[in-house]
Amino acid sequence: MMDMSFEKKGRLEDIVVWPGDQEVDKFVYTPGIHGTEFAKGLKDGKILGMKCKDGKVYVPPLTFCPDFSKGEIAEIEGDWVVITYTIVYEDMYGNFLEKPKVIGFLKPVNGEGGLIHYLNVPIEKINIGLTVRPVFKEERVGNINDIKYFE
Amino acid sequence: MNHSMKEVPGIGLKSSEMYSLIGLLEDRPKARYDFSAGPTVSKFLLGLKEGKILGKKCPRCGRIFVPPRSYCEWCHVATSEWVEVPQTGIIHTAVVSYISAKRQRLEKPEVVGIVRLDVPGYKDKEYEFAGLFHRICIDPKLVVTGEAIGMRVKVRWKPKEERKASILDIECFEPIG
Amino acid sequence: MRPNIFMKDRVAIVGAGITKFMRRSLETPRELAWEAATQALDSAGLTLKDIDCVVTGSAPDTFDGVHFKGEYIADGSGGISKPITRVYVGGGTGVFIPDAGFWHVASGLCKKVLVLGEEKMSPAHPHPQYVFKYIWDPILERPLEPNLIWIFAMEMRRYMTKCGAQKEDIALVSVKNKRNALDHPSALIPANITVEDVLNSELLVWPVNLLDISPVTDGAVALVMTSEDVARKLTDTPVWVDGIGFTLENQHWYNRELSFPRYLNYAARMAYKMAGIERPWKEIDVAEPYDPFDYKELHHIEGLMLARPCEAWKLVKEGYFNRDGELPTSPSGGLLGVGNPIAAAGVMKVAELYWQLRYEAGKRQVKKAVHKAVANAWGDLMQAGTVIVLSN
Repeated sequence: MMDMSFEKKGRLEDIVVWPGDQEVDKFVYTPGIHGTEFAKGLKDGKILGMKCKDGKVYVPPLTFCPDFSKGEIAEIEGDWVVITYTIVYEDMYGNFLEKPKVIGFLKPVNGEGGLIHYLNVPIEKINIGLTVRPVFKEERVGNINDIKYFE
Repeated sequence: MNHSMKEVPGIGLKSSEMYSLIGLLEDRPKARYDFSAGPTVSKFLLGLKEGKILGKKCPRCGRIFVPPRSYCEWCHVATSEWVEVPQTGIIHTAVVSYISAKRQRLEKPEVVGIVRLDVPGYKDKEYEFAGLFHRICIDPKLVVTGEAIGMRVKVRWKPKEERKASILDIECFEPIG
Repeated sequence: MRPNIFMKDRVAIVGAGITKFMRRSLETPRELAWEAATQALDSAGLTLKDIDCVVTGSAPDTFDGVHFKGEYIADGSGGISKPITRVYVGGGTGVFIPDAGFWHVASGLCKKVLVLGEEKMSPAHPHPQYVFKYIWDPILERPLEPNLIWIFAMEMRRYMTKCGAQKEDIALVSVKNKRNALDHPSALIPANITVEDVLNSELLVWPVNLLDISPVTDGAVALVMTSEDVARKLTDTPVWVDGIGFTLENQHWYNRELSFPRYLNYAARMAYKMAGIERPWKEIDVAEPYDPFDYKELHHIEGLMLARPCEAWKLVKEGYFNRDGELPTSPSGGLLGVGNPIAAAGVMKVAELYWQLRYEAGKRQVKKAVHKAVANAWGDLMQAGTVIVLSN
């Protein structure tokens, strides 16, 4: 038999630790073909989806449909429904938030897919199935935060 | 792409076009890590602090690994014996870097390379050897002429009080004599 | 080396698709994947519904800046609700993807496989080069603040010393490949350049200048691979996968010789054995050796045993590897000319051989008759060798 034992007698103090990171200065993400249309729509205060051959409108638009063909841009109008939600009490670093945030997964009544966004609904009133509408900011740049929240 | 295909898809952008896109997003991840050197490499690093280069020997094939490993990859058994190895060797290959890790121009180019250490048990022409990757304190011209390759070198240590059990405790390899 | 490989089905390639290779694309990674995948399906006369399994590959997540990149590009790759696999061996991924496609079919698990490589390197700033910092050992290498080009330069210097090659000899590869790329519709940096242009380009890490290196690239490439019975129904001219090989060296790259790529030679021997090729230097008609750097093509020609060690650079001077030469290499234009979207670049090489073996490469078609072909890719710290051998 070979000696299979590794040295296990070391103490934690004998272990050298080297600090490091895994950083870049920044990542720059292009929005993509239909993503650019979606962003322009937000800037104009509209939520755009993608109409596919199955007649359904998918939000957000992804350029290609579930059947792999290219879809057409179409506006989504009407109400949205809360599919599920969560209440956030801490920020990313574990600090307690003064006012908890409500995050919802929201689906358009007239479409497929959906968005994740803030809900401006009192915590005691929030519920699955609640009907909500997007509220846009006054100044918009063309990203998802152009929607202030759903209420 | 063959002759029967339609146009090649793809929308290429200039930098200015990309930065003027509506919907462009930027993000900066801030991940921090503490890398543990593990028991074997830790002992090697603590050896550097003492001004020693330590290798570890495989009980089956007798290879001495520098930097040391906990196991011999060839025999797949634990390495057993610690060996202090010579601080001399020859330059296996060397290059002159004019750019930083971020690809910015360096004011002063630096020479880096591989040193094949004078560790017993390896034959001259063997594919593997014991050695280190480090800075080399020589004139960059010697790299270009090729004189650097095969040159005998030894470790130049940092002053003892500045050493902190890191690969940087070695300042560089420098020519002997 | 004795690869114990047992095959159920013979494997064919029946379609290929490619996007443009771009410095920065408007498309998201998943859109690039979709563009290449739809082209490949169209060329095979199939739709996504016909596909049984999907194999994807993409190099480090830190380029696209998206974790779980395999899952991220899954829908664009056509992999939703299907068995989907992402493989990854650094730069070796490109040829490892069709290697993996091969075993999906050869094992009998799937009959029709969509195989896709995608890379979007442009998101990482200040330069994608910086992301490579994280492939170095955090304890023994990263404190020296290395740039990835260092390791290539060291290997190239070693090759020059051992083989007696000069920078101008090696630059001929860059001249050849960029010229070949003039005929490739996806090419990012095709050009008619001279050896002097290479030697006078920006000096990065001696002996490596800017034009010795392939560029940062976004792009995607896809193939359709099927079993023999399916291939016979789809086309009269399938391209067969005769052999695959893939092996790894350890990460201790500075404890190795470097002038000869053993990581590749092991994989090549495995693939040739499976393909029944005993004298590759005589039997291979056209090759796509992996060329992220110009010397690397020479290195890989030797690792693939298409030339003796230290002789590839002499043969380049004689025009031996030109499109009208004895053994054309990188007729596509390679990574040096078409571009290097890492995982997609290797698939591009396999796609090129597919078109060459079907005599569909148009202006890029090599002059001689072709029957057998080989491509390889290499990955990580001189570690991963991936090989594929094709025939018509």
